[in-house]
Amino acid sequence: MGDFFNALGDIATNESAYRNAIIAAVVLMLAASGELVAEKAGTINISLEGMILGGAFAAAIGQHAFGSVWVGLLFAMLAGIVVAWVQANMSHRLPADQFVVGLVLNVLVLGVVGFLASEIEPETNIVGRVRIPLLADIPLFGPALFDQPWVLYLVYPVVPFVWWLVYRTRWGLEVRAVGEDPNAADVSGLHVNKLRRQTIYLAGLTAGLAGGYFLFARAGQFEDSLVGGRGYIAIAAVIFGGWTMKGTVGGCILFGLVGSFVLTIPSLGYESVDPAFLAMAPNVVTILAMAFFATRVRQPSALARPFLRGLK
Amino acid sequence: MTQHDTIAGGDATSPPAIELIGITKRYGAVVACDDVHLAIRPGRIHGILGENGAGKSTLMKVLIGLVIPDAGEVRRHGTAIRINDPVAAAEHGIGMVHQHFSLVEPLTVWENVALGDVGRLDPRRVRARVGEISEQYGLEIDPDDRISDLPAGMRQRVEIIKCLRRDPEVLVFDEPTSVLSPAESEFLFNALRTVVERDGKAVALVSHRLGEVMAATDEITIMRDGRVVESLSTAEADARSLARAMVGREVSLRGDVIQTGSASDHVHRDRTAEVPVLRITDASARGRDGRVLLDRLSVDVHAGEIVGLAGVEGNGQRALGDVLSSLLALDSGRVEVESREIPTGRAGAMARAGVAIVPEDRHHSGCVLDFSVAENMFIADPERVARRGLMDRGEMARRAEALIDRFDISCAGPDAPMWSLSGGNQQRVVMARELSHDPRVLVAAQPTRGLDVGAIEYLSEQLRAAARGGVGILLISTELEEILDLSDRIVVIANGHIVGEMINADVDLERIGMLMTGAAAESGVPS
Ligand SMILES: Nc1ncnc2c1ncn2[C@@H]1O[C@H](COP(=O)(O)OP(=O)(O)OP(=O)(O)O)[C@@H](O)[C@H]1O
Ligand SMILES: [Mg+2]
Repeated sequence: MGDFFNALGDIATNESAYRNAIIAAVVLMLAASGELVAEKAGTINISLEGMILGGAFAAAIGQHAFGSVWVGLLFAMLAGIVVAWVQANMSHRLPADQFVVGLVLNVLVLGVVGFLASEIEPETNIVGRVRIPLLADIPLFGPALFDQPWVLYLVYPVVPFVWWLVYRTRWGLEVRAVGEDPNAADVSGLHVNKLRRQTIYLAGLTAGLAGGYFLFARAGQFEDSLVGGRGYIAIAAVIFGGWTMKGTVGGCILFGLVGSFVLTIPSLGYESVDPAFLAMAPNVVTILAMAFFATRVRQPSALARPFLRGLK
Repeated sequence: MTQHDTIAGGDATSPPAIELIGITKRYGAVVACDDVHLAIRPGRIHGILGENGAGKSTLMKVLIGLVIPDAGEVRRHGTAIRINDPVAAAEHGIGMVHQHFSLVEPLTVWENVALGDVGRLDPRRVRARVGEISEQYGLEIDPDDRISDLPAGMRQRVEIIKCLRRDPEVLVFDEPTSVLSPAESEFLFNALRTVVERDGKAVALVSHRLGEVMAATDEITIMRDGRVVESLSTAEADARSLARAMVGREVSLRGDVIQTGSASDHVHRDRTAEVPVLRITDASARGRDGRVLLDRLSVDVHAGEIVGLAGVEGNGQRALGDVLSSLLALDSGRVEVESREIPTGRAGAMARAGVAIVPEDRHHSGCVLDFSVAENMFIADPERVARRGLMDRGEMARRAEALIDRFDISCAGPDAPMWSLSGGNQQRVVMARELSHDPRVLVAAQPTRGLDVGAIEYLSEQLRAAARGGVGILLISTELEEILDLSDRIVVIANGHIVGEMINADVDLERIGMLMTGAAAESGVPS
């Protein structure tokens, strides 16, 4: 145990630990920013996991076929939207349960993508780092934030843009109304289910992008285990963040840090730390964080409740 | 505006702004509206009266596009129009202020007002528009207040502003005053008069309060079982015959009590020597924001006694109700039921001790709208219809039938979902559930809010019967008439403290009024 705390000290001053943390946090942030909007409108979008995986696979196909990362990212967003289309229309047009739809979609995407990947075997590679002068020279955090594969920088415009959508536009106001009180929104003349479908499309877009980003920034090669539950962690980050953008980003960074430190400990030569303990640590932190913060926040009142006119 | 000026101050013969012709709406076997004709004229306030479940809300929802009628048509200035949703209604110049507020609580006033508009969101313009309307009609409000922080009267102002912002020709109000204090209601009607007389708007107003309909409207339509039974001008109406037309029999009215000062049948017994069934001593509680909710409040309720807690809304009544339903813990003070101290804020403790609650807001804490009527009746105490831990659905249905019968609840049956019931009938389900539990203490908060005159008469009788049967009743009401009609003893609450007490036999209305508004403090009570 003493070893463990020594290791923590070493890691806290280790640049590459931060670099890995940010790479891991950004995939969560991209996915969670769209998920936040969907939850603001009242949907817990379990298929986020499938959206990311679909996005990663489509990105691989895009680059494999056209040799371009940009085409790959475009494919990734389209794939996310395709998954979103099924989720949205099953749960907010047909009255199917959103959780069941989400879980089934995740299994389905995994199957389809696994099969296609073994048939096609797309070949891809990690994109190069781009160093942003001056900013990257900040000690410790500089390289993590500003000397990274260039696809990572996509998060800098995307997250503020999503925030702006939710808190500064009419559409965002309507989204928040629909998630808090769909009946009041309905009598005010809003199309509740249409708005909810739109937010899921947005989640599909950012989650697909997250998948593409992860392929090009970290994985390099597509595997069907590549997403590995990050969709669920992104959902946890939204809850942890108390349904605010700031909190969600904070949650993503926290979960990213924990995951990265756990990976870095063995590489620093602390072999005596029990690997089982390390594997467990991120989940323990997640649960502790949720227990500590989640009680203090108010979720959107109509979260996970379907809307049917007349059900008041 | 000029177009309005020419039609302002309309009369009974001016062509209707909106006309409903032969509207019929069925829900399964229930005919909510049956061939209804209704004309709403510019410059007039049209009152719509009827028992619970008579079809008033359904008819209003047809106007606003929330209900599509099975037959009949809506005409605007003589031409038939289709109203498929609230957006279409707004386009046709029809706006509605709802029976249950249509505001999104965590949003601010201006955000709510902006909901349903189109185009770029311009907070400054919306705020300015709110200011403009509130000035024009004397509806003062701060556009940046959060709805959840506002009392009922202010929320209603927001509703009205939200409705007026589109400059509608026809305004529909469904029980606008059921959540308002008398002063707030009067304020509302003054504003409505301005709207009607100055701008020539047409108003349809649903209400259960006869006095208010008599005072505020120009013409009246009475519905019963989905049909129009009478249409008349307010000038030729009187409360008694209106009540008779609504219910189809003679009923005694609350107003009678006020006229004679107090009800004669309240024989006061001195109970100071008896042990009270409910004793609250020095109860103090603060809200999460640190606001004082209850301030050393003490009150006793004896078996067989109805104690009326009078006061202006928002003076701690809700907190007291919350304490007695175990939702709120006291900071200091104690609650005793039959001399046993009951821990506060512990889920179910009050209920187990025999305290039954008819909560003020049936939609938030009174019932589960997605459950059936029967499930709502046994939700708190499923053991009574369970056998070896399993719900006995047959037994539950049988008992529910009996309660539906006894409380005259109009619904499709025990399996009907709660949301399909009219507002007043939902209230009856809650009452039926609580009274059928054989409680020691019954706390009834605004129990007759939204009930029709016939139902009020019946419910009052139920409460009196419960008291005769030995239940101690704490009646929390903002309606003085209700308190005077039912209570043996009256206590007045202001700022979370009991500021005065009197027995019904020597009630002094003027003094109650002064105590309620905090204008007079009882001597000997620490301030
Ligand atoms: N969505 C629905 N599904 C089934 N039945 C309904 C539905 N809405 C209303 N009803 C029924 O139609 C009848 C009329 O209801 P409505 O709400 O119009 O009554 P109301 O006159 O407004 O009564 P209250 O004074 O209690 O508000 C009631 O019997 C009610 O149970
Ligand atoms: Mg009604």
